[in-house]
Amino acid sequence: MIIRMSKVEIVGPKGRLLEVLTRLGEKGILQLDDELFPLPGKEPPVKALLPDKKTLAERTFFLVLQEEIKELLGLLPAPPVRDGYLAPLPVIDVVAALVKKHLPLCREWNRTREVLGRELQELSGYDTLLQTFEPLLQKAGGDTSLEFIGVTIKDPALVERFRRLAAEETAGRFELETARTADGALVGLIATEKKMAQRLRRALSDGQIPELTLPKPYSDLPLAERGAALRARQQEVEEELARLSEEEERFARRWLPIYRRVLHWLTERLALLEASAAVFETGMCFYIQGWTPAAEVAPLRDDLEGRFRGEVLLSELVIREEDLDRVPVALQNPPYFKPFELLSRLLPLPRYTSFDPTTFLGLFFPLFFGMILGDIGYGLVLAVLVAVLLRAWPTGQNITDAAKILGVCAAYSLIFGVLFGEFFGDFGARRLGLQPILFERSQALLPLLYFSLSVGFAHILLGQILGVLAALNRHLRREALLKVLGILFLLLLVALVSARFVPHPWLGDTHLILALLGISLLALFAGGLLAPLELLKSVGNIISYTRIMAIGLTSVLLAQIANRLGGMTGDVFAGILVAGLLHFFNLVLGVFAPTVHALRLHYVEFFSKFLEPGGRRFEPLDRSHP
Amino acid sequence: MEQALLALAAALAIGLPALATGWAQSRIGAAGAGTLAEKPELSATIIILVAIPETMVILGFVVATMILVLE
Repeated sequence: MIIRMSKVEIVGPKGRLLEVLTRLGEKGILQLDDELFPLPGKEPPVKALLPDKKTLAERTFFLVLQEEIKELLGLLPAPPVRDGYLAPLPVIDVVAALVKKHLPLCREWNRTREVLGRELQELSGYDTLLQTFEPLLQKAGGDTSLEFIGVTIKDPALVERFRRLAAEETAGRFELETARTADGALVGLIATEKKMAQRLRRALSDGQIPELTLPKPYSDLPLAERGAALRARQQEVEEELARLSEEEERFARRWLPIYRRVLHWLTERLALLEASAAVFETGMCFYIQGWTPAAEVAPLRDDLEGRFRGEVLLSELVIREEDLDRVPVALQNPPYFKPFELLSRLLPLPRYTSFDPTTFLGLFFPLFFGMILGDIGYGLVLAVLVAVLLRAWPTGQNITDAAKILGVCAAYSLIFGVLFGEFFGDFGARRLGLQPILFERSQALLPLLYFSLSVGFAHILLGQILGVLAALNRHLRREALLKVLGILFLLLLVALVSARFVPHPWLGDTHLILALLGISLLALFAGGLLAPLELLKSVGNIISYTRIMAIGLTSVLLAQIANRLGGMTGDVFAGILVAGLLHFFNLVLGVFAPTVHALRLHYVEFFSKFLEPGGRRFEPLDRSHP
Repeated sequence: MEQALLALAAALAIGLPALATGWAQSRIGAAGAGTLAEKPELSATIIILVAIPETMVILGFVVATMILVLE
């Protein structure tokens, strides 16, 4: 349900503003509203509180410091450290100076780490290549009159083209060996005479075939020493990186608790300074206006008066008609309804004068689900599934909520299963002698249709009544009148339909039709051309509830088919397997379809009658969120 | 002959809305898939939107049932 809100005003001496805002932030139950002014009878000198030069400078200083600390924390590792309990305000200047000293140091560490990391990556790449080339070089037999050229071959199909090119440039005096590196790339090594090598290199460059070259210090070394030199440098870099990590971690362990504490304090402080933008002032006092849950007004008043020794006063104000659109909305539901907020969250927040859809979803969603699925066997399977889900995810918010909703739905499926006499379709009736209390769905199509339409009528009628109340809450009399006409229209229509079955002694069809026409005319005058169409729309909404019958019937027929196919196998195990598979398939559909359609009946048919979207979420002043 | 016509009428009553529902769901489904690529949090809303045209085939089913049952 939507929590009742109160509009409150807090007044106190200007010097205590920050303390008051701090306290309000701690309590977290007041939403400031800077658009409620000007108050009637409180003409200027009440004006918006403008920050003075000192406050502005303080805010800028805090913002810069906050950004610097955030950057510093981003550069440092995050080992587990103790909590900091430093009171930052007295030492804030020292902290600012420290950050100025530490930030360049951490930036330098970070830069070194990046450079070393890049070098290590390059070295390991070269090492992979050298490891690939080593067997090829050994094959060449260490001939010093030869020159070796390494290339990367992007496409294996190009090897032949590459071979032809090398043959042309060296007059066939070359040897080409290819191999795959550890990461899967194809590389080739050409051995040719030194005098041919230059021409071949030029040709490779013209053909845009990249040659593999080692960086300078290694390319000058003899081939046999290159691998060892590379690996030695790799080890050196790794050691440097490890030293750096150690140093950073030591630094982080020492300074992280302090910086984290200061950052937290800064966030709170900036949140308060931000909130002061919604404050008003006179020469000596500050004014705060806002919204708080009605139940919290008295405790908050006592708290402020006690804490500030009567210097700060809280008074409750009357909510004016023009304030209604500004009242923030907070939902609070008892434990049974709470999980259904998962479904109502899909809708936009209702206005304060409207209703919380959660309550209605909690009441009717499982009911419709049960009416559609309506099977003892399926209900039991769902109950077991719910137990498993709740055991596996005892605290995961969304999954737990979904499991709880499914639990209620399973209970309703059991109840309607008993009423319809269904246990895995007609298995209960054929094998266990189960008899329906209401009717057998697969045989009683018309009663099922009337039942669904009756449910739809009751649901839509409730929606219309709630629509009248919502319109009256907002003082929209014309809209309320139209809703009342809608109710009368539906009642007369039902009377007209029921007269087909039970003729009334004095209320004839003619009277009813004339009354319906009269209501349509009234609606036309009261609401314009579209109003009579709106009346007819309600009829369409009620007819839409026939899906309860249609989908329910599909479910029960599928269950019967599963039983028959299982029986046709002529073997107990095969029969159980076939029937089990089909029942499983039906159960999956039987959970999905009722969920979607029960939701649709609510969202499209029912809520359109009364729910007014566009509410402002209640976001109380919270000192940790600027 | 009358039986055959009734059966044909029932078949048309459910068949045509089924085609219409399929076509509408294909359009909504395609748009919904595009929406989900950008805003996965709207998945529940998209499921509802895809289910909306099913009204047609459900009403077709009801009419077909009535044709056959109330003959």
